[in-house]
Amino acid sequence: MSPQLTLQTPLELAPAEVPHYLEQLWSPEQQGSMGTGANTFCLLIWQPAWAEQQLIRSGRLSGPITGQQSAPLIAAGRQAVLDADLPLSTTPLDGAVVKAVADLEGQANAEDLRGQYIDPALSALMPRRLITLAPTIDAAQPLETLVAAYCPLPEEGGGTAACGDVVVLRGGHGALHQGLSILDPLLPESMPAWVWWNGCIDEAPELMQRLTSAPRRLIIDTALGDPRQCLELLRHRVESGQAVNDLNWLRLRSWRETLAMVFDPPQRRDALSHITRLDIDVEGHHPAQGLLLAAWIADRLGWTLLSTAAVENGTTAQFKRSDGTEVRFQLMAVPVAQPNVHAGQMVGLRLIAEPENGQGVCVILCAESGGCMRLEGGGMANLELHEEVVPVQHDTPEMDVARLLGGGHDSTNPLLAAAAPLAARLLG
Amino acid sequence: MVATMTNPLRVGLRQERVIAPQCLVIFGASGDLTHRKLVPALFELFKQRRLPSEFALLGCARRPWSDEEFRGKMAEALASTIEDDPQAWDQFVGKLFYEPVDLQQPDDVVRLGGRLEQIDQQCATRGNRTFYLSVSPKFYGSGCRSLADAGLLKDPKRSRVVIEKPFGRDYGSAQALNRVVQACGQENQIFRIDHYLGKETVQNIMVLRFANTIFEPIWNRNYISSVQITAAETVGVEERAGYYESAGALRDMVQNHLTQMLAITAMEPPGRFDPEAIRNEKAKVLQAARLADELEPWNCCIRGQYGPGGSAESPLAGYRHEPGVDPNSTTETYVAMKLFIDNWRWQGVPFYVRTGKRLAKRTSEVVLTFREAPVHLFDAATGGPTANQLILRIQPDEGAEFRFEVKSPGSGMRSRPIDMEFSYDESFGEPSDEGYVRLLADAMLSDPTLFTRSDEVEAAWRLYTPLLELIEDSPWQLPVHPYESRTWGPAAADALLAKDGLLWRRP
Repeated sequence: MSPQLTLQTPLELAPAEVPHYLEQLWSPEQQGSMGTGANTFCLLIWQPAWAEQQLIRSGRLSGPITGQQSAPLIAAGRQAVLDADLPLSTTPLDGAVVKAVADLEGQANAEDLRGQYIDPALSALMPRRLITLAPTIDAAQPLETLVAAYCPLPEEGGGTAACGDVVVLRGGHGALHQGLSILDPLLPESMPAWVWWNGCIDEAPELMQRLTSAPRRLIIDTALGDPRQCLELLRHRVESGQAVNDLNWLRLRSWRETLAMVFDPPQRRDALSHITRLDIDVEGHHPAQGLLLAAWIADRLGWTLLSTAAVENGTTAQFKRSDGTEVRFQLMAVPVAQPNVHAGQMVGLRLIAEPENGQGVCVILCAESGGCMRLEGGGMANLELHEEVVPVQHDTPEMDVARLLGGGHDSTNPLLAAAAPLAARLLG
Repeated sequence: MVATMTNPLRVGLRQERVIAPQCLVIFGASGDLTHRKLVPALFELFKQRRLPSEFALLGCARRPWSDEEFRGKMAEALASTIEDDPQAWDQFVGKLFYEPVDLQQPDDVVRLGGRLEQIDQQCATRGNRTFYLSVSPKFYGSGCRSLADAGLLKDPKRSRVVIEKPFGRDYGSAQALNRVVQACGQENQIFRIDHYLGKETVQNIMVLRFANTIFEPIWNRNYISSVQITAAETVGVEERAGYYESAGALRDMVQNHLTQMLAITAMEPPGRFDPEAIRNEKAKVLQAARLADELEPWNCCIRGQYGPGGSAESPLAGYRHEPGVDPNSTTETYVAMKLFIDNWRWQGVPFYVRTGKRLAKRTSEVVLTFREAPVHLFDAATGGPTANQLILRIQPDEGAEFRFEVKSPGSGMRSRPIDMEFSYDESFGEPSDEGYVRLLADAMLSDPTLFTRSDEVEAAWRLYTPLLELIEDSPWQLPVHPYESRTWGPAAADALLAKDGLLWRRP
């Protein structure tokens, strides 16, 4: 399904006029022609799309700029990795790619449609208001404010569609800051508001702080940005009781589900009390996702963290089980020729359980997209082996955000809340 | 097998839907169903943390109980459950309230409205209400009307009515009742409950069929020779004689539970997993179903009634000697019948349905028997080759098994049947929730997928109209065959299948 464009051609208004215009748009007199205004939620999106903007400017990708992770964008990013002689395990939209392409010449222009595409996964939830902050690579670009109404296509046999509106604030960094004053009236307290930070976590901390004050709920992606800062932000939000959800954590769902499935048959559960070793392999040098998975396992099995240390290409740690036995943990970065679009995605997991008076068990989960040779190698001849392949997720970030918003969970996922502080501690 | 411990990695992985703050009002709160099923189901939801903190349960009945008396009665009835988690009960019991209400008295219903507003204030339930009619079926219509007249159903998004079985006594009364309840609220406010649809294993029939590609291509007349649906109970009528005497097995079990199992087994794939899409397909298949011989129903239906049985040490009384039962009763406690579904998928495939009390074993299952191989190349160790069977075990020992022929070990090429088994217990080790747990949660979530729509109910009654008319007008043509308690029913039921060269499966 391709994303839907807005119903109206966006109208450019002076920032100060926007709140009044939208108030009029949804007044009872106007609603007859527009359908009803959805009484659902508002979503504010930080949408820098730096890689897309730079690739288009340098002529490596044709426009328009949409902010969506399209196949041509990812292909252009992969090509840029090769052309710039970056390490092969660099993800196609990584900051290093942006930096490398920014140094290239080119002044190609393209229409900027960020915020005007509404992914069907999101529009199906009938948001009342989508506000997009679209910073431009030209830091001097003045502020433009666009407004449009849209209605999702009515469901088969459904009633009147509840409509919403989109607001786009576009401009250089300074100009955008000036426009922020209109945001408060656009996010009424009567409706839940979510902020999706669809960029590097560490690229504008003050702005993030300003946009995400309580009770706004924050959605981040801990695969974007410095891993330590990503996990620290998660930890801080969790410990201060501010709602936060993480797309990188959400992408772990098939790993968590597959691992839980292995231990669903009651006869295998005893092994969970006798684990002595946990190994995790991730793509490239971004350990956030792997650490979150390790922290989830440790939390669920009641392990206590004893020590942690950084080693070449990874992290090691010692946990203590509730019976006092030590569990060794190792996370290793594995080089891959064609990395996932998200940094540091799971490659494999190995759990070894060694009961004192029984058959040892080895569980290996391996990503469908790659091999697990390191985890499958050596020393397991005497163990009962359970090996599972974890399916690759093909969901777009918009679909993941829609899953979060549609789940009715307006607070931090309790499993993430338990795992995030421990994951941050694992990084030392 | 009983799980030794919960899978700790499974905890929290299910993304349960969130029930909005609300007050559940149970009419008939002094009755058996409330303390036997409804309050235990709500307590279970509470323990699973699936009830919102802004929740209240208001019990209503004619008895002049106070909140404290109601709480005491419930604590007494649930004593063994509470023992396992007394702290949870202490937290839960504060959410229980009681109001003496006679639904036939307008003043009572007006007073109820006031009490509900008070509870809204006290428990922040925001005027969101689910009304559960666990009263005598004759009060379903008037009960709905009373609620509507008091303005308690006017907001379709914040009020729902759950109606217990039986929904009507026949096609005509079901139509009339539908007209009444639909005049009181919108169809999406009406939740006609059938607790069989709340069972994991019944829902699993849909998953088995529509999430796997191997079954659906052979799930039709080209590969399936017959289908048997059984719901057997070992218990007798117990304390339900008053109701059962006027209902019988046909109204108590077949029209609702067995017909719903038939619909889910035989329905076409819905276009999407959506309440209306699923209910459309169920209604369509029921509209295509008919008795195998509508003109002479005695050729396709057997009624039975349990007689005495048991052993010398523990004798069992026959139905006519049960307390509250007419000594000359002709109410059936057993029904077996043959149906056809006149559509492309099932034309000519017999569906045999049976249910009974005091049978040899408690079991509910759906058995699909496949056609025999066209040529028998091998000798069969058991005399003749056994047809492949897929057995879906609804309860107990929930699961499925597939029976097929393999080579018997040793020299020669003889075949013998073996069973490939799937058991919920062995695979998941978690007891599945009672049907009411799922259905109460769904009703409070306004999700009608597992509830019966008006056209489904009417189609189910219409299906059995020739039988009901015959029992009413000339019952001697459909005699009640006696059978010994703790056997598999009357011999006439075996003869029904023997005519087609078949046997009932012995579970």
